[in-house]
Amino acid sequence: MRPLTEDESKAVFAKLANFIGKNLIQLIDRKDEPYCFRLHKDRVFYVSESSMKLGISVARPNLVSMGTCFGKFSKSGKFKLHITALDYLAQYAKYKVWIKPNGEMPFLYGNHILKAHLGRITEDTAEHQGVVIFSMSDTPLGFGVTSRSTVDTRKLDPTAIIVFHQADVGEYLRDEETLI
Amino acid sequence: MDVSDFLASHAAKSEVQVVDKEIPLTTDLAFLSVFDTNTIDEESHKCHLQSLANDGVQTLLVSLFKLPTTQTPDGPMVQLPQPTVLLPRAKPLPKPKPPTKWEQFAKAKGIQNKKRDKKVWDEERQEWVNRWGKDGLNKQKEQQWITEVPMNADIDHDPVKEARDARKARVAKNERQKLQNDAAAAGLSGKAAQEERKKDIDRTLSSSRISTASMGKFDKKLDGEKKIRGVKRKFEPAEGISEKDSSLSILKNMESDSRKTRTGPAPAEESVINTRKAVRFASKGRGGLAMARGGSAGRGGRGRGGKR
Repeated sequence: MRPLTEDESKAVFAKLANFIGKNLIQLIDRKDEPYCFRLHKDRVFYVSESSMKLGISVARPNLVSMGTCFGKFSKSGKFKLHITALDYLAQYAKYKVWIKPNGEMPFLYGNHILKAHLGRITEDTAEHQGVVIFSMSDTPLGFGVTSRSTVDTRKLDPTAIIVFHQADVGEYLRDEETLI
Repeated sequence: MDVSDFLASHAAKSEVQVVDKEIPLTTDLAFLSVFDTNTIDEESHKCHLQSLANDGVQTLLVSLFKLPTTQTPDGPMVQLPQPTVLLPRAKPLPKPKPPTKWEQFAKAKGIQNKKRDKKVWDEERQEWVNRWGKDGLNKQKEQQWITEVPMNADIDHDPVKEARDARKARVAKNERQKLQNDAAAAGLSGKAAQEERKKDIDRTLSSSRISTASMGKFDKKLDGEKKIRGVKRKFEPAEGISEKDSSLSILKNMESDSRKTRTGPAPAEESVINTRKAVRFASKGRGGLAMARGGSAGRGGRGRGGKR
């Protein structure tokens, strides 16, 4: 377990900022308790400093997880967000997409979101913008990247892809072994 | 008619007032400067400065007008004299070059260096020829039309090539010696130069060891070959550092970076007005380009696009 280097921090912050924008400061500069980012076995954990201090005393092979896993660094140094970061992303998300009940299952099986399943979308969403996916009852289901801006979606046919799938809560079951 | 009064008054007008001081002022006309070495009156410094400037300019002008003038179409001209004040050097004196190896040897042996002329008298051609360079004497053996071949010469003996190679070798040797002298003059001599060379060799060796197809993985290992040590990575300690400030500064840097590279207008979150939304509203969803083309064109466009 170690703090992130500057390059790693940049990679993580850039990914998070695509979803939550300036709310990223809320994660770093928290009112209640100091939180920090820690790297352990290529995984980035967002953890309160008190828990992190407890974690220091655990030997490296024995430490499985702590706090919230935000994602992992690939071998080539890219950062990938995991579904476990959804709680924080949903809390601070700037752009949201709500999907109809009939679109929930296809999305939770790892498919992209089609226009037919689109319930609502935050006005003025740009192209290739990170968005958090909600069900119509405001339950966060996952996150992805828009393929078109809000305006352009109007012209599309119902089978066109609106949001590219990145992660969904179904991964808790599907990727149970590899997630942590 | 008595003009003596008139002449007297004119003479008084044209008479120059010579500045009279305890220590006379000195001038250096080449730099148009005057030096006043009298004591300074500290109490009334304002008046004193004015009178000082006045006297100085007076002296300068008087001495300038004393110089001989020549008439030119542009008016009278004065040739300024050579400067009398010596200005100090701006830069320190250049350091003497350290002696070359030959100079050291010559000094130890007491050899007097006699200057060799570039030109030599050629008895055969009865003219002065270059010692080296174009048609130089050192190329004579290569350029003569007939050459003696020794009895025991090889079958492929080429006297021209031999002479040329020997000359080239002499040039190369001289160049090598010059480089050595230069290195000695630059202070890279003895131990330091050796250390530098050693480091350089190590660097080359380590880079060549990983420059094979398998990046050095399946190469034959030599006896006593050491493992290549990479750069030791160093990380911050896991606790006891204030991460908040460093994270915020990284965030700030990222923001300023993106602002520097951004070519388009600022995003909506930074400006008060959401530009994209405003354009969409004003152009009724047709976009900024269509709006710029003009309102009538837009209405016409709708007409064309409609059902026929």
